[in-house]
Amino acid sequence: MSINKGILVFCEFSGDSLTSLTLELIGAGSRLAKSLDEELSAVLIGDNAGRYAQEAISSGVSKVYVIEDPLFKESLCEPYLIALNKVIHQISPSIILLGQTTLGRDLAPCLAFHLNTVATMDCVGLELDPSSRRLLMTRPVYGGNAEVIQICETDPQIVTVRAKSFDPAIQDGSRQGEIIRIPAEIDPQQLRTKMISVHTESQAGVKLEEARVVVAGGRGIGSADGFKQLGELAGILNGAVGATRPPCDKKWIADSQQIGLTGKIVSPDLYFAVGLSGASQHLSGCYTSRIIVAINKDPEANIFKAAHYGIVDDWKNIVPLLISRLKEVAVHNK
Amino acid sequence: MSPVSESYLGITGYLIFWLLFVVAFFFFIQRLIFLFNLIRLGRPENRFDRLFFRIKSAFVIFFSQWSNLKTTSLRDPAAIGHAIMLWSLTLFAIGYLIFIGLGAGFGLNSILFNTTFEGIFFSVLDIAALLVILAMIWVIIKRYLIVPERLKREQDFTEKIIQPLLITGITLLMLFHLGIESFRYAAYGIPDSGSLLGKPLARAILATNISQVTYILIYRILWWLNYVLLLGALVYAPYSKHLHPLTSFANITFRSLTPKGSLKPVDLQKPETAGAAKIQDFTWKQLLDLYACTWCGKCHIACPAQLSGKPLSPRELILGLKEHLMETGSIISKTKKSNLTVESREKNAPNIMQNEQVEDTAVIGKVINEEAIWSCTTCRTCQDVCPVYNEHIHKIIDLRRYLQMISTTGTAHDCLKNLRVRGNPWRGTMHARTDWIEDLDIRIVGENSKVDILFWVGCTGALEDRSLKVTQSVARILQLAGVNFGILGEEELCCGDPARRLGAEHIYQMLATNNIQLLQSYNIRKIVTACPHCYNTLKNEYPQLGGNFEVFHHTELIEDLIKKQKLKPVSASRELRVTYQDPCYLGRYNDIYESPRNLIKSIPGLSLFEMENSRNLSFCCGGGGGRMWLEEKTGQRINEMRLQHALGSKSQIIATACPFCLQMFEDAVRSREESESMQVLDIAELLYDHLKIQQDNIRFKDSD
Amino acid sequence: MKNIVVCMKQVLDPEAPLSLFKIDPEAKRAILPKATPPVISPFDENALEAALKIKDSQPAKVTVISLGKKLSRAVVRAPLAAGADELILLEDDLFDEFNTLLTAHALSSAIRNLGQYDLILCGIQAADTNAGQVGIGIASILDIPFITFARKVELIGNTVRVEKVLPHGFAVIEAPAPAVVSTSYEAGELREPGVEAFMSASKKPVTVMNAQQLGMTTVPASPVSFRKMYQLNRERKCEIITGSSPSEKVDRLMSVLQQAKVL
Repeated sequence: MSINKGILVFCEFSGDSLTSLTLELIGAGSRLAKSLDEELSAVLIGDNAGRYAQEAISSGVSKVYVIEDPLFKESLCEPYLIALNKVIHQISPSIILLGQTTLGRDLAPCLAFHLNTVATMDCVGLELDPSSRRLLMTRPVYGGNAEVIQICETDPQIVTVRAKSFDPAIQDGSRQGEIIRIPAEIDPQQLRTKMISVHTESQAGVKLEEARVVVAGGRGIGSADGFKQLGELAGILNGAVGATRPPCDKKWIADSQQIGLTGKIVSPDLYFAVGLSGASQHLSGCYTSRIIVAINKDPEANIFKAAHYGIVDDWKNIVPLLISRLKEVAVHNK
Repeated sequence: MSPVSESYLGITGYLIFWLLFVVAFFFFIQRLIFLFNLIRLGRPENRFDRLFFRIKSAFVIFFSQWSNLKTTSLRDPAAIGHAIMLWSLTLFAIGYLIFIGLGAGFGLNSILFNTTFEGIFFSVLDIAALLVILAMIWVIIKRYLIVPERLKREQDFTEKIIQPLLITGITLLMLFHLGIESFRYAAYGIPDSGSLLGKPLARAILATNISQVTYILIYRILWWLNYVLLLGALVYAPYSKHLHPLTSFANITFRSLTPKGSLKPVDLQKPETAGAAKIQDFTWKQLLDLYACTWCGKCHIACPAQLSGKPLSPRELILGLKEHLMETGSIISKTKKSNLTVESREKNAPNIMQNEQVEDTAVIGKVINEEAIWSCTTCRTCQDVCPVYNEHIHKIIDLRRYLQMISTTGTAHDCLKNLRVRGNPWRGTMHARTDWIEDLDIRIVGENSKVDILFWVGCTGALEDRSLKVTQSVARILQLAGVNFGILGEEELCCGDPARRLGAEHIYQMLATNNIQLLQSYNIRKIVTACPHCYNTLKNEYPQLGGNFEVFHHTELIEDLIKKQKLKPVSASRELRVTYQDPCYLGRYNDIYESPRNLIKSIPGLSLFEMENSRNLSFCCGGGGGRMWLEEKTGQRINEMRLQHALGSKSQIIATACPFCLQMFEDAVRSREESESMQVLDIAELLYDHLKIQQDNIRFKDSD
Repeated sequence: MKNIVVCMKQVLDPEAPLSLFKIDPEAKRAILPKATPPVISPFDENALEAALKIKDSQPAKVTVISLGKKLSRAVVRAPLAAGADELILLEDDLFDEFNTLLTAHALSSAIRNLGQYDLILCGIQAADTNAGQVGIGIASILDIPFITFARKVELIGNTVRVEKVLPHGFAVIEAPAPAVVSTSYEAGELREPGVEAFMSASKKPVTVMNAQQLGMTTVPASPVSFRKMYQLNRERKCEIITGSSPSEKVDRLMSVLQQAKVL
């Protein structure tokens, strides 16, 4: 049994580049690699994964393992597990970093059970224990009301990391690294889950995770029409509309717009929290926004403890005025 | 002299009289038995307690006509006409018994004719007859010329024919009385003791100078026509709403003697006995209601759901059920004759889930739809204005209980689930029950505190943002007055009112039994609460489950404290007009009208201006009956309608004594521009602002 | 007749007010006052609803398994009222709510004991651990496929068909039964049972087992241990923008935001 060494980053990509979360993983991984004086590797698994290898190297990865096969286009966990296992078997890393993504949330636990260990999910902080040199992993529990710092005694230490928890790696085109291609050799017959079809629900306007301005509403909005008003406000500011869970349950807004621990995590420059109380579940999804403005008629609402600015008033009194003032300013500036 | 003692074509009048009577009576009784059997289809209910008191008080209520007269107004003086009719026709009924029954039938007329007694009695009947004729003219005006809102109802063909026939019939009876006595006097001589109108009419007849034989003939014809008409009325009455004199008397006799605010208990071990899906699921008393209704429409025009455009009408519920009973009842009673005994009926109690049986006699969807069932706010105005003591609310609750039996309807899902799982109806509240305390030093009973009275905070008072201030005001007032009180704190569960009004008995009983156990374990005897719904349930419904406590509304207690000079309101900084909303559950349900008003008046500088529809006619805010947790989808918002009344009082402050009224008014006030400057305050808040603040009297956490 | 297993976890109430929520730093667990009862983890309720939807459309037996240290009978019996047919309670002081390996192994043992099963349902993650590993672990131990984040689950013959939620849409995925499927809240809120359902639930079978009775002679030690657990203090100094009218407040807000250069 070889001793586990080295940090392995599971990379994900979209379009022309690695995802921003992947770059954050590489950034965190580099820091850890330096502290431990160990190697930072990355694995790229996908249909045409090799094209991102250079970017990984520029980000600071020494060795990039590439496994390509059209099978991976469907992004189902099974083939990824097989491929990833090949790499792990080869290099025996002590730390494996994945993103808390659709794929990562499936892959990490699956891999962990396969290797007779337990993964640590949705981490927001990674430090090294001074004595054991093992990872001290910080993650939210109890719906975001609390955090726990935990340590895993067995190798490999498998971690999924939440978006925007770490700074992304800085690109340096001059960096050098090795690209190692491994054949997939996956028998499609042994794959049990099959992708039948994918349906994309087109989202008008700016994507929630990428918006610089987010207008989020809660129970206090009261109706789908109320959310249309929030949409108007978001529209003027070129932002997106989000919601807590109850409005989605009541069908005032689409499920995909839920912000929170079990929804989307956002970190815009400006976040309006309108008619929502500020439960931990929700705050977990927006707390790192640069400026949070709370509008709520209850002065005791929890959101006022987490916001930067607040107005104690019924949103129905404030939002329409805000919309008209912004429209005036826009006209004035033309 | 008596037409009955004559012979007609060889047949003695007595035979004709009695033959006609027996035939008519037979049909009358047959129909009554049929109707009676229909009522017997209903489930058992004990309304036979205190029987002597029931009958005695029924006589008083019935003949005083107070239950009808109390809703008389200049706009709707019909009850006066009805009272006159009732008294007059009662006298006639007595008259018929004596002079036709005993007099003609038993031949006692030989003793009665031309006596002083007869003269006086007939004179009284003369006046009565005139009054009835005037009343009939009034009726014609009201049914055909100026029809009041409450009588505007689609009438079917038979009803359209019957109405004029009835008016004609009654008028004829009156005219027959006058005709019979005057023609008798004319035929046989006017006695000195003759009746008031009989004598002059007889003289007028005599002036026509026709032969005595003709007078006798006319007298006899009129007499027999009158008799036949009477018997006809007897036979006809049970086929029409004119059975109502009998049935309303019965309804008043068997009215509820339990507290107004307590619903029928449910045995959860036999869940199929709770709730009504088919007409025979109602109790016999609930079915009797259907006969007592004369569709006066008073409930219809008073119902806030109806007035705001919801599909619910208490009148249509009653009449619809009655039609339904008539249609399906005869089918059921024919096929299930053997099941008419209580025991066998319970044994064979049709399984609620068996759809075929529910289908033919189902009420929901046929007589009333689900939206209407959930529209009721249980405000009790319908029952309050009903002259025949009908109980509309129990029927609606029974329908709701049935729907909750199968409960895939999803009504008030969040509220009921939260009650079941967390013990409060406010899903999504961020408050704990003790958050309102902040820096105040409040005793928690569970932490070994001995208190004189328990302050029952209630779910809304503890968990709903706006209401926390009311709770704080009440606590501070009690502290200022030096009352030794405590709260249950986190241990308090919802009193159960929303669950009970929504028909979810299992959740209500779970909450209530837990609360009762808790209260008893702490030896609580006295309770004060600021919520009329908690007040009503704790006081009137908990005894059903073994919990007996002395319960006060905060306005009652505070009024008492002011009387005992423990509190002294100071003058308002400026003159303000205040109007007051009587909460349904405080006013109509528990007859507390004056204490809240006295509190407002106790603050110098504030003047009370009543809104229209106040006291027992107070218009609901729309929050009762579990409706705080249901959406209003149709018509106008009830709270906005009530706001109109409040605006009419031209007041700056709307004072409330109920957390639901408070919420409803706050919402309504914000929805309109003209009301935006109005303040909505609970009486406790209003009072606290005007109490001489003695800082050392308010206990904060560090001061002890 | 299909056999569906639903794993439902009893957790501290995630909707309990913040002022009542405390962390015991020694035990490294949260504590709520006795007056705040535990509940079933919300995503697990969605899983039961998905199972009941299948039972609505074809003959199926739904078995609910709950595992924990001390299970409140009022809480864990409610699924029987909602429509489940049988309840299995795995109650033992060893069954720590944060021990992923132990939980997955114990549940897998119990499921194996059932003999035949077509579908195992659970929530995407528990409301206390927020991890989302146990369902996948069960699939790994029983060597069956898994699909997570289901918003719709169907059992068509021997195939499990799932609509899986994606960030901007959904995918239709199939796997041969038996399989593990975890549900998200889009699968639907659990139906609230009526009076009759509650009353008849008391007649349904309940089996209680401890670790030994379950056949777990050796308990896998958890490789993960907690160093520290603390309540998250997300407090900031919030500047309340005042004004005598809404429009004054809005004007002040606009100028503040313009100064901060976000507008």
